[in-house]
Amino acid sequence: MAIIVNLDVMMAKRKISSNELAEKVGITAANLSILKTGKAKAVRFSTLDKICEVLECQPGDILEYEHE
Amino acid sequence: MVNEITGWSQMKSLKLSRLLVAGLFFLLVVILFTAHIIAEWFSIISVGQGIIGGRLDIPVTVMIYICDVFAITAVAALNKLLSNISKDEVFIEQNTLCLRIISWCCVMAGLTFTVFSLWRYEFLFAAFFAMFLGLVMRVLKNVFEKAVELKSENDFTI
Repeated sequence: MAIIVNLDVMMAKRKISSNELAEKVGITAANLSILKTGKAKAVRFSTLDKICEVLECQPGDILEYEHE
Repeated sequence: MVNEITGWSQMKSLKLSRLLVAGLFFLLVVILFTAHIIAEWFSIISVGQGIIGGRLDIPVTVMIYICDVFAITAVAALNKLLSNISKDEVFIEQNTLCLRIISWCCVMAGLTFTVFSLWRYEFLFAAFFAMFLGLVMRVLKNVFEKAVELKSENDFTI
């Protein structure tokens, strides 16, 4: 897919673990892993909203579009 | 879950379906071993006509053998389908494959009946019903295929 998820980079910047982020966002660790590995087919606005709130960032910091 | 009106639970319904499939499988095995007797009986009572005349017991025996193989294959796929449903695995690729197998078995049986209608035209009715059932199963397979795709999309929406 042309959309790249840079969640790992943002998590490293904020020094937050996967389990902690999953707990704060309210999703399972398995679902967070799907999101991080780019296997997700869609992201709910509510999830994106919560991730941005927890990581104090913009959606553009997490998602990136790249020409294939 | 129990139906308030009938008092019939989903699990019981599934068990009944599996029991009926097992019964049908047993019946098909019996037919496989008694095909020549059924064919002889059919050739005695049959009053119809066909393009090819002559003895009817050999072609009917062959037809029963061929159709029985398709029927057993379809019943095995049906059993696998019910087994998956009982494990709460409904919209999966394997179930789509089962429906595809059943559909093709019906179509192949329909074609077999069409060939053997050369001996008796009445087999054309059986051919029509088999083909019709094959078509219904094919549409059902298409619905399942789409449902599997939608479920996968839903599962991977975070």
